[in-house]
Amino acid sequence: MSETGRRRSVVIGLLGTKLDAGKRAERRWDAWRPTVALGQQEDFVVDRLELLVPPGHQSLATLVAKDLKSVSPATEVRLHAFAVEDPWELAAMYGALYDFVRAYPFDADREDYFVHITTGTHIAQICLFLLVESHHLPGRLLQTSPPSQNQRQPRGTLSIIDLDLSRYDSLARRFELEHREARSLLKSGIATKNAAFNRLIEEIELVALRTKSPILLQGPTGAGKSRLALRLYELKRARHQLQGPFVEINCATLRGDLAHSTLFGHKRGAFTGAAADRPGLLRAANGGVLFLDEIGELGLDEQAMLLRGLEEKRFLPLGSDTEATSDFQLLAGTHQDLQAAAMSGRFRDDLLARINMWTFRLPGLRDRKEDIEPNLEFELESYSKDSGEFISFNREAREAWLDFATSSAAHWTQNFRDLSASVHRLCTLAPGGRIDLDTVAREVERLRSQWEPRPARKSCLVERFLPGQAQDEFDRVQLEAVLEICRSSRSLSDAGRQLFAVSRALRASTNDADRLRKYLARFGLTFEAIRSP
Amino acid sequence: MIEIDGAKGEGGGQILRSSLSLSLVTGKPFRMVKIRAGRSRPGLLRQHLVCVEAAAQISGASVEGAELGSSTLGFHPGPVRPGNYEFAIGSAGSTVLVLQTVLPALWSAAGPSRLGVSGGTHNPMAPTFEHFQAAFLPVLRALGIEVQARLVRPGFFPAGGGEIRLEVAGSARLRPWACRERGPLLRRMANALIAHVPRSVAERELRRLQGGLQLQAEELQISTCDSAGPGNALVLALEYESTTEVVSAFGSKGKRAEDVADDLVNEARIWLEASAPIGEHLADQLLLPLALGKGGEFVAVRASEHLRTNAELIPLFLPADIRIETRGCGAQIRVLQS
Repeated sequence: MSETGRRRSVVIGLLGTKLDAGKRAERRWDAWRPTVALGQQEDFVVDRLELLVPPGHQSLATLVAKDLKSVSPATEVRLHAFAVEDPWELAAMYGALYDFVRAYPFDADREDYFVHITTGTHIAQICLFLLVESHHLPGRLLQTSPPSQNQRQPRGTLSIIDLDLSRYDSLARRFELEHREARSLLKSGIATKNAAFNRLIEEIELVALRTKSPILLQGPTGAGKSRLALRLYELKRARHQLQGPFVEINCATLRGDLAHSTLFGHKRGAFTGAAADRPGLLRAANGGVLFLDEIGELGLDEQAMLLRGLEEKRFLPLGSDTEATSDFQLLAGTHQDLQAAAMSGRFRDDLLARINMWTFRLPGLRDRKEDIEPNLEFELESYSKDSGEFISFNREAREAWLDFATSSAAHWTQNFRDLSASVHRLCTLAPGGRIDLDTVAREVERLRSQWEPRPARKSCLVERFLPGQAQDEFDRVQLEAVLEICRSSRSLSDAGRQLFAVSRALRASTNDADRLRKYLARFGLTFEAIRSP
Repeated sequence: MIEIDGAKGEGGGQILRSSLSLSLVTGKPFRMVKIRAGRSRPGLLRQHLVCVEAAAQISGASVEGAELGSSTLGFHPGPVRPGNYEFAIGSAGSTVLVLQTVLPALWSAAGPSRLGVSGGTHNPMAPTFEHFQAAFLPVLRALGIEVQARLVRPGFFPAGGGEIRLEVAGSARLRPWACRERGPLLRRMANALIAHVPRSVAERELRRLQGGLQLQAEELQISTCDSAGPGNALVLALEYESTTEVVSAFGSKGKRAEDVADDLVNEARIWLEASAPIGEHLADQLLLPLALGKGGEFVAVRASEHLRTNAELIPLFLPADIRIETRGCGAQIRVLQS
């Protein structure tokens, strides 16, 4: 009578040899009987029940089927003899349920399947859960619950258990909180605002907690690779994903035999001065994290051994005949383009392939201008914490520093290293723990000169012939080049030919010497004066 | 297409059942939205679906949205087909409510019908068979409808398994009807129904009831029934010259027999202290037959939310004018054919 297209609800469950019996047959309607309760729900209809009946309970099954028919005439009940040697033994129960499921003609196009887990032994519940979770049994878990004290009616309640935990609002909030905590940890508690960086952190969090594969952190010097590596380790440790230590080395500091023995260890007497066995950093990082900063600086021999250590968790200490083992997660840092290094043969491409499955590119500070302020707070706080004295800015000073720090004049060539050093200097020089405008002005000057492109500013000749005279940059650069050519030319005409070679070839100008003389005259200079030593 | 807001008025199952009845008789399709909106479990429940399915079956209706939890239902009835029908509804809802849903269509149909409905017959949330039999059907007969009902076996919650059989002549020609006074009291009868419950329970109930309402010994009766599961209902019929009221109370696990009797006494006192001839629940049920027939008027103990909902619903299907006037002695209700 209802439309033919309606999907049918099919429940698969075990007969509850105790619960479904009630206390006594004649009082059974007073008791909550889970299998009968399936048919008593106002908002759930069972079209068919596949009831698995343990041996010896056929009459109970028949009674339950009859009562179910009475409360829910539309429910078809199919009884299946279900023998398990020991219903409290996992393998036996799982095997029996697995066989039932394998033989069952599921018709997922027309029917929805529900697995009733309220009846049966705990082992049966576990097995049903596992079968549903692994999708061997294409259904959802169904739970019936007894009525509460103030409910007189024995039908109790029924709920469908969704195993997708993120669907539960209250849990989703907790997961969100957990994510936020993780991201905050990865950011060292700094409330960064840069959208690209925050997205990167979200990705790193997701990946870090799900993989034991190597992770490559790429970014300019001082971008915070080393700090992020440590935070990643702390996060994994806080989530009980590893127990071992965090071991860190900058590969630029490793050379030759020392490199091999530092990383992979050596046997006593392996080389002059090898007075005792040394385990090496790979073994030290067992069960933890090995952070190899500037991995591009690693020698080719060490790269080969590292690859073996990653792929087989085995490697050969220097001077040893037997391989050592260590199980660690590799984090690698680099400021180089390792792809290019691999092309030119300076980096093994097989190692690169192994470590760059997860590559994260950290932006430099110049690309994260909105993060300068929160990092300023962080640095101030950590200085205060380390030094034990509270340092603060006055308002104008703070604004002045931030103005400069976020301007295009601030190059931040060493990124966070520069920022940290700048704040450190401000704090050290702050009169009475208060950073004022004057302290900031001097610091800005220091930063400016530190970032000044010195070799580019060649104006020795201009300085020499026009001492103390301010010139526009436009003129200064041109004049310097002209003076240089004049100094190396034998005559005014000679210099003119060089300087105007192109227009001369086009016959656009014939009197080069005159043009040059007039140009020099504008600055009060003559060729003779320039040529004089 | 008639559009009905299912959340209006009573906003539950009654507006749906009344709409089904009206649609069957008038042949007009309807679409109901916001079904049971705002209830703790909104949308259609099983007890509502069984009514929809029964209505669809006797008329070959096409139905959209007849699913558990659905908040929208489209119902397009075909011509009502008199004949023999069996509906098995289990313990989901009430056999009486299913019967009341399809009854107007069957008395209007061209031929006689026989119905068997199995499931719950004595349920606290719906009229009992006794109320249907002794209070409702006599009014239908007075209107000109030939109908007989028989309780084969009671069905108590939770086991259900009861059965009611009903015969209705069809092709009814309805008369106007009026009921303004009860008239003299003719008979009182208290009946304690028990199934798989000790007889002492019924005896205690009746003893308490006798004291509470000053009944005579011959006005008390115990009916030991055969039923699928245990159950107990205490039913009091009060028959007057021009009306009958039936009130009831139900025993349940853990409830004292004396408390069941006290529940009934309280129900009966509301009726006894009033003077209007039509009880609150019967009044709800009479608007449809009157509007479908030649109209009429009566005085009810009170005009309930159910009655007001029906009064608003009926004009969507029929050219009827329903007036409710509240007076000191109750509510005066007039159903006029316009």
